[in-house]
Amino acid sequence: MEKLLNKLLKIPYVILGVVLIITVLFIFPIKKNARMETNLDKYMPQNHPAFIYSNKAEKWFNIKDGIIIAVENKNGIFNYKTLTIVKKLTKELQRLPQISKEEVTSLYTADNIVGSEGGLDVKAFYKRVPKSKEKLEEIKKRVESNDMIFSRLVSSDETVTVVIAPVIDSVFSQELYRKILTLAKKYQTPENKLYVAGRPIVEGTMALLGPADMKKMVPIVLLVITIALYLTLRSVKSTILTLLVVLLSTIWAFGLMALVNIPVYAVSTMIPVMLISIGVAYGIHLYSHLHLYQLEHPNAEKTEAVKDMLKSMFSPVSMAAITTIVGFLSLLTSQVYPIKYFGVFTAFGVFVAMILSLVFIPAGIIAFGLPKIKKRTAEKGSNDKFAYSFAKQVIEKKNVTISITVLVVILAVIGVTKVWINSSFLDKFEKDSDIVKTDRFINEHFGGTSTLNVILDSKEKGAFKNPEILRLVDKMQRTVVGDLKVVGNSFSLADYLKRMNKVMHADKDEFDRIPESRELIAQYLLLYEMSGYPDNLWKVVDYNYSKANVTFQLKSDNSKAIDAALNEINSFKDDFKKLGVTINFAGSGYKAYVFTDLILQGQILSLVMSLFIVIILLALMFKNLLIGLIGSVPIVLTAVITFGIMGWSGIPLNSTTALLSSIAIGIGIDYAVHFIEQYRVNSACGNKLLTAQKAMAHSGRAIFYNAIIVIAGFLVLLFSVFPPNRELGFLVSLNMFISFAGTLTVLLILLYKANIYFKNKKEN
Amino acid sequence: MKTIKITLLLLGFVMLTASGTFAQKKITGLQIMENVYNRPTGNDMTAELTMTLINSSGQKRVRKIQQYIRDFGKVEKKIMFFVSPADVKNTSFMNWSYDDPNKDDDQWIYLPALKKIKRISSDNKSDYFMGSDFTYDDLGDRKPSADNHKLLREEKVNGVDCYVVESTPKDPDYMYSKTITWVIKGKWIGLKKEFYDEDGELFKILNVKNYENIKGYWIITHVEMNNIQKNHKTIMELSNVKINTGIPSSKFTQRMMMRGL
Repeated sequence: MEKLLNKLLKIPYVILGVVLIITVLFIFPIKKNARMETNLDKYMPQNHPAFIYSNKAEKWFNIKDGIIIAVENKNGIFNYKTLTIVKKLTKELQRLPQISKEEVTSLYTADNIVGSEGGLDVKAFYKRVPKSKEKLEEIKKRVESNDMIFSRLVSSDETVTVVIAPVIDSVFSQELYRKILTLAKKYQTPENKLYVAGRPIVEGTMALLGPADMKKMVPIVLLVITIALYLTLRSVKSTILTLLVVLLSTIWAFGLMALVNIPVYAVSTMIPVMLISIGVAYGIHLYSHLHLYQLEHPNAEKTEAVKDMLKSMFSPVSMAAITTIVGFLSLLTSQVYPIKYFGVFTAFGVFVAMILSLVFIPAGIIAFGLPKIKKRTAEKGSNDKFAYSFAKQVIEKKNVTISITVLVVILAVIGVTKVWINSSFLDKFEKDSDIVKTDRFINEHFGGTSTLNVILDSKEKGAFKNPEILRLVDKMQRTVVGDLKVVGNSFSLADYLKRMNKVMHADKDEFDRIPESRELIAQYLLLYEMSGYPDNLWKVVDYNYSKANVTFQLKSDNSKAIDAALNEINSFKDDFKKLGVTINFAGSGYKAYVFTDLILQGQILSLVMSLFIVIILLALMFKNLLIGLIGSVPIVLTAVITFGIMGWSGIPLNSTTALLSSIAIGIGIDYAVHFIEQYRVNSACGNKLLTAQKAMAHSGRAIFYNAIIVIAGFLVLLFSVFPPNRELGFLVSLNMFISFAGTLTVLLILLYKANIYFKNKKEN
Repeated sequence: MKTIKITLLLLGFVMLTASGTFAQKKITGLQIMENVYNRPTGNDMTAELTMTLINSSGQKRVRKIQQYIRDFGKVEKKIMFFVSPADVKNTSFMNWSYDDPNKDDDQWIYLPALKKIKRISSDNKSDYFMGSDFTYDDLGDRKPSADNHKLLREEKVNGVDCYVVESTPKDPDYMYSKTITWVIKGKWIGLKKEFYDEDGELFKILNVKNYENIKGYWIITHVEMNNIQKNHKTIMELSNVKINTGIPSSKFTQRMMMRGL
């Protein structure tokens, strides 16, 4: 292999040309094929039972995410102007092709089930907006007396009313998002304020804000990394070549992705993050070695210098890269396709970074000459001196280091227990952002902006005409809404039947309950169908009355809220089972909840697997199992401490933060391999302390530079306006820092204590 | 008498269509729709109505109804009893529809489980009939004077000569922006009808699958309504149709509603 690399040194321009051509060839498919996958359903594993069921249920009951537009009038909404706004807004929304026309719900479209002249009447609250006070008062009274509408479509203080517009599957786009916002602005008047909320809006804003913020931040991140690289490498040529390795490996990875026609998922945006933090390291290690060589041989030929660099760095770089690649490939075990792709393409990117570092950088050095060494022999001395004394300090004060580490790990483990998973979208926004404020505003006035669909399923046709089952449904709704603050409201077939029963008994409150007999229930339902348009019924029960959809409105979309509701609902499982009814769940909030869990499971599995793979690979490479175990320590430390800090600082696990533990693996391996390799090579001197000091001066220096460069770059993200991007910056930096600190202290101490490479030698 | 009238009309049309453009001048869209509206269907009718509702996923619900209809001149009375499904058996429904355009229909329903007759007032004729895809208007209640009619063309549908008439409502707030009806020449049966929603998009299609001549009257015995936008379908079939059997007026009373079948 080394021979081949050395041969390649003879044709540097050919190599540069080939790399350039391949890069161009990869740019074409990116330009042609690359597309961002914004449909969140596409991210979910379609063969997972929870998703299969939820998707089916969404079809049965037409469950869609709704855009919520709230109209607020502080003087009350029952006036000509406000009601006109509601009507016009409803009609305009119905006309949008992306909105499910028949399902737009507002005071204008809602059915009012009332008792009239001793009969039942289903009619609209209004068609033409009345101007007279009496008629407006009449609408107000009708709303107030209808539990199905009051506090659901109109707030109980009568200052807010909502228009709910369900979005047809997977068509929510930024265009629609802008249209809705324009629409809301159009109808705003000094007295009537309009607010836009709902899951599609939250998703839309996120899809808009995240990448927009990244677009602003990435150039700054790259600039900082470039500056930091230049400050450490002290050479424009070296900086450019190292950066090119990162950039080209990213282009190749995305190029391959576009070539095999795999869309860019949100998690794919983490690929460059990984490649920057890992890819930069290879270049730095190479240059670090080259630099040391040049200092020792000031008059060396460039070919000689490069050959020496390849000779000593080929095996650590390729070992580190291969272990990292295997680590990322372990993500293939995830059930979530975007994560599998993330694993595969990051692995490919790392592979490219490795090849380019071993071929492209040497070719570049040959073609453009060695980096100039400024006469800084003094610096070398001071550098070595610092590394030597640092290594000595670490070893002498190993007990301090170990005890601090143990303490930190204990604290971290406690922190890990505090880590919580959060699939919430809203929690990703600033607490004082418009979207969070609007959400809070609507939650204050209504049941909640998030929904959880409980699907009750029976094998028996007509099961949901059985009063016993319906009474249990009613009980479940009352219990869950009553017990949990976070659940604001619920809605089901039981509400229809209670309402009809009451209305048919002259509005007497004692009949606000499920009718006694199956026949009466069937006849009420028939009556309802005859009186109105039954489509609304098919949102709560299926055609054969064998399945029912109970909707719970939650005031939060975070996993704690969903968890609490699921637990309470599941406590009715046995009672329903006795009646032959099973409980299932559906809806986008529930799917996101399951999805986050899946990602996490996959991530933990992959983390554990990578750890074993790393231990085995390291043990094979260094022909020593103990080294494998020691080498895995930085990874474990990084993962545990990062998760611990997340627990303590309240950063929840979600699809992106969970993925960051991959950095722990990639970087942890890298540092461990380089450090152990230098330790091994230098052990030839026969002195344990000197070996440690030499390893520190050589590898430690490179590791330090690598960590500093990446941390400096990602800390820029702390100034981002989008909280998830800030978390990303913080966590990447944290990962780098712990890997670096762990390798240079704990790993060193362990190597030293384990006596590896010195067992058969006499103690000096 | 009426059969003679129809044959005469038929003859008349054979002659009129033969003379081409002249015929188009003679008959207007409005006249065609009035002929449909006024097509004689006898004084009374007894029939079994089977209503099959099919939703977008192909699930079916079947309702059997025994119905009696009698024309009293200024008012048409209709009484219906559910035969099946079992849990709604003997639920009955009575409708009095008046010629006077200012007078709303009177409707009652009897729920045997509640043992009470309830009056149901429907907002308007745009309401759907028993959860089907037919509104009361679609079932033939809409008066031709409510729309402006235009004869678009004449064409053959399944080998039958038809007039194609476009009707646009005079009331701009009406649920349909327009309808197009294929009327069988001479028989004055709307063989096919397309309904367009408020935004001018095709909404529903009605197809007459079968019509029979019973005692000289053209009776539609099988009709399907397809809601294109929702992919929902209603099939109505009439069987055991009896015309002019002299149903007593006492049949159309609340007492009969409660007595059941």
